Amino acid sequence: MKIPNIGSIQRSTVIYFVILASFFMLVTRLFLMQIVQQEAYDEKSADNSIKGIEQIPLRGVFLDRNGEVLVSNVPAYTLRVVPADYDTSLNSILETVIDVDPGFISKVLRNNRIYSKYIPLRIKRGIDFKAVAWLEENSEYLPGVSYMVEMQRGYPAGIIGSHLFGYTKEVSPDQLKREKDYYAPGDYVGHNGIEKQYEKFVRGIKGLNYILVDSKRKEIAKYKDGLEDLTSTKGHDLLLSIDTDVQRVAEQELKGKSGAVVAIEPKTGEILALVSAPDYDLNQFSYVTSREFLQDLYTNPLRPSFNRATMSVKPSGSTFKLISAIAALDLGVITTSTTIYCGGGFTFGRFFKCHGGPHGSLNVIHAIEKSCNTFFYNLIYKIGLDRWAEYAKKLGFSTMTGVDIGEEVPGFIPNSKYYEKIYGPNWPRSIMASLAIGQGEVSVTPIQLAQYVALIANNGNSFVPHVVKGYIDDRTNNLMSSKFKEVKTGIDPKVFGIVKEGMFLVVNGAGTATRIRMKEINIAGKTGTAQNPHGKDHAFFIGFAPYEDPKIAFAIVVENAGFGSTWAAPIAQKMIQAYLLKDKTKKMEQRFIPEIKPNIIGAKLEN
Amino acid sequence: MRIDYKLQDKFDLWLIIPAAMLICIGLAAIYSSTINHPAVHSNFQRQLTWGIVSLIVFFITYSLPTNSFRYIGISTYIFSILLLMAVLVIGRKVSGAKSWLYFSGIGFQPSEFAKIGTIFAVAAFLSRSNSNIDSIKDIAIALIIGLLPVGLILLEPDMGTALTFLGLILILLFWKGISLFGLFVVLSPGFVALSSLFGIYYFIVALVIVLIVLLFFRKDLLTSGSILALNLGAGFLTDIAFRALSPHQQTRIQSFIDPGADPLGAGYNAIQAKVAIGSGGLFGKGFLSGNQTQLQFIPEQWTDFIFCVIGEEFGFIGSVLVLGLFMTVILRILKIATSAKDEFLSLVLIGILVIYFVHLIINIGMVVGIMPIIGIPLPFVSYGGSSLVVNMFLLGIAANIYRTRKNYT
Repeated sequence: MKIPNIGSIQRSTVIYFVILASFFMLVTRLFLMQIVQQEAYDEKSADNSIKGIEQIPLRGVFLDRNGEVLVSNVPAYTLRVVPADYDTSLNSILETVIDVDPGFISKVLRNNRIYSKYIPLRIKRGIDFKAVAWLEENSEYLPGVSYMVEMQRGYPAGIIGSHLFGYTKEVSPDQLKREKDYYAPGDYVGHNGIEKQYEKFVRGIKGLNYILVDSKRKEIAKYKDGLEDLTSTKGHDLLLSIDTDVQRVAEQELKGKSGAVVAIEPKTGEILALVSAPDYDLNQFSYVTSREFLQDLYTNPLRPSFNRATMSVKPSGSTFKLISAIAALDLGVITTSTTIYCGGGFTFGRFFKCHGGPHGSLNVIHAIEKSCNTFFYNLIYKIGLDRWAEYAKKLGFSTMTGVDIGEEVPGFIPNSKYYEKIYGPNWPRSIMASLAIGQGEVSVTPIQLAQYVALIANNGNSFVPHVVKGYIDDRTNNLMSSKFKEVKTGIDPKVFGIVKEGMFLVVNGAGTATRIRMKEINIAGKTGTAQNPHGKDHAFFIGFAPYEDPKIAFAIVVENAGFGSTWAAPIAQKMIQAYLLKDKTKKMEQRFIPEIKPNIIGAKLEN
Repeated sequence: MRIDYKLQDKFDLWLIIPAAMLICIGLAAIYSSTINHPAVHSNFQRQLTWGIVSLIVFFITYSLPTNSFRYIGISTYIFSILLLMAVLVIGRKVSGAKSWLYFSGIGFQPSEFAKIGTIFAVAAFLSRSNSNIDSIKDIAIALIIGLLPVGLILLEPDMGTALTFLGLILILLFWKGISLFGLFVVLSPGFVALSSLFGIYYFIVALVIVLIVLLFFRKDLLTSGSILALNLGAGFLTDIAFRALSPHQQTRIQSFIDPGADPLGAGYNAIQAKVAIGSGGLFGKGFLSGNQTQLQFIPEQWTDFIFCVIGEEFGFIGSVLVLGLFMTVILRILKIATSAKDEFLSLVLIGILVIYFVHLIINIGMVVGIMPIIGIPLPFVSYGGSSLVVNMFLLGIAANIYRTRKNYT
């Protein structure tokens, strides 16, 4: 075929070069994309299809001092549906099975329309086991319906511990903002109590599973067969100093009352029991928290959410007389041979009545035994207000104890400066009389009282009260003990011997709490009854046992009850029985006892 | 007639080997893109069957007497036109275009078949013994023969295929020896018509360009004037035709002109296709290991987006290999066409070359992001029986002409 040229160029040459140029252009383009910009495209491709799914680790469990599990993880079942596979005609039958109002499921589906139809959607948390069994049985007729196991807190020992343990709930937007490198929306985080204070120890380390998703975000397979996955690490198990038996007795004894109990091992500052009443059921937070429950929790006039053990401040009545005794003895104002005559009252500006009739002439030991107001009225004037307040401070009042469950208030002890501010330099000195017997402006918390009596029991030395002994290292099973500050009063230990003698007589002599005397164990204590302008008096009892070698010190407050000896002291007796007379063989069975090696210097627990 | 018994002499391995390799690469890519796709699992099997069928078609075509193409030309064209009309009436709609005909369960696309008919008809017309490429009448008739199937295909509507037909007619005219002025006369109304779709300013600018080029050719006033009038008419006619379309059809044409206007539809595919190819790198992610492909980020990847599988899983090396194989076939056909002494056969060969080349450039250009998204398959590689059989038939013609090339010396 003769093809006319274009000018001097053959037509086939034109086509030839057009073809070559096109190929060259495509190869250049491919080189640019696949070699030069490969990294950028590769990143986009990975973003497209690899999705990381956080694996929430198990929270550490809480064990009591004997290794009994107090707070554990229990499975809770969550109903899920994959909207793409789900048939909405199943709504009504599912609603019956999981016991929700008609229309519930379609409402949840509607509210979550914006998410991919291939991502399983949570319909309801905490469905009961019967519903799970039904789902299993009928799974073949339920396309797109499944359930998921999520771990929730359980309380297997039957201990309520509402103010002690605290609970977990969804992380708040504020906290999410502050700690965004750990938490993601919807995460559960410790709230109140130990759960909050030890959150960093018990929460563990999150894992990350990589999955491949397709263009519709539907899960296809594991990425690289899970080789790149990070497994989650369970949180540390905490060994608490709580003794389950003591805690249980205290909770039972305070049932139906308002008040608080704190029991401490005097030598170590370890808290054996911490109860605030009324309490609330922590299980309510574990599954689906009902609105009625929350409403009651926050509107109940008795304020069950309020931790009375560390937050409630009151004058503590006669239990405070020991301050004057300790101060006077330590300052040398009196000795055991100093006697004061009680004729039934004391006059300073006005007449202050002594209860229980004229006690006659008595020394400090018997004054404590009889709780003689007259003796202590006289004593505080001999000591002077500021020195008295100083001793109260030395014994832990008007400052926070530093207990490791968080919320706490310092209380208040007045001094002369305070009165000068209110009344001027000539403030009525008669005020001091009521301070001597723990009335008036004295305001203390139950945990301060417990620390105070622990310091007395242990001759002026103890440790900051605490509930967590340490955490258990998962790899070695060793206890990593936490370190707490030692509390030293700097008061002559002999002084405490004298005061303790008086406290011994309170129970075992002719004192105010003789009704709780026990055959097997010598209890020492001091009752108190604080006047309550709003109603019945508050009953107080502080003490320790055994007298010879104190192993438990306690402070008990029962609000609006009446006399300390009648209402508070019997609780102490039950706790001592539970703690000191418990079946020793029971201890041997506990699983952690043989494994915990003592004296291991562990990592220091922060805060 | 001298008989040469060397295989190479009768049977062009430069055509069949690259084509067979492309079919095999295509099969691998189809396998990879459908393995995780239960609904289209059978695609690999089907393509394999069609591959065998197409080879048989190739050898039959190869063995036919070369002269027979001259005689079946017109009837094939008329049959194609009838099929294209039929598809508008009884065709089945697949992804928005009424382009499929079904006969006892087997579907095929008449527009694929029409390629054969159109090549034959235009080539036959242009190679008439009394044809004159410089006569306006001859050019006009050739254009009418070519534009008739284009119009019918546009009604389906299938823009991509229609575009390949336009390329086909133009290059056939060019090969026949149309003068530059004649080419300008043919091209300018299309250029103006297309510009008018973009708006009045584009229309005016296009007319001004046409005017300047006209002055450059220095033709007499009557010729220049009538060509300008033709251009004006084309512009206004396009506008009138566009207004006559239903709003739905208007949107389709607009999205064809400006694919960026629809980022979630065509735009999404364009982005995912580029990501697939770019992330392949030098050696690719490996067979069956491309996540873009395996996780179905590109819809219906086994058809028009098949090159993404190759780019992603076989990388730059695989992509260039495919381009090289195409280049081998296309340049080989150009060589045969250049040396062919018979005008009809030479034109047919160029027609085949254009069909392959335009498909290749549009298809790969689209997946690498230098062309708008126009749905046309990659010859030999994309899934689809009609396309494969027709392409192998065309290759059979080329091999046939090579076989008997010495008979026409």
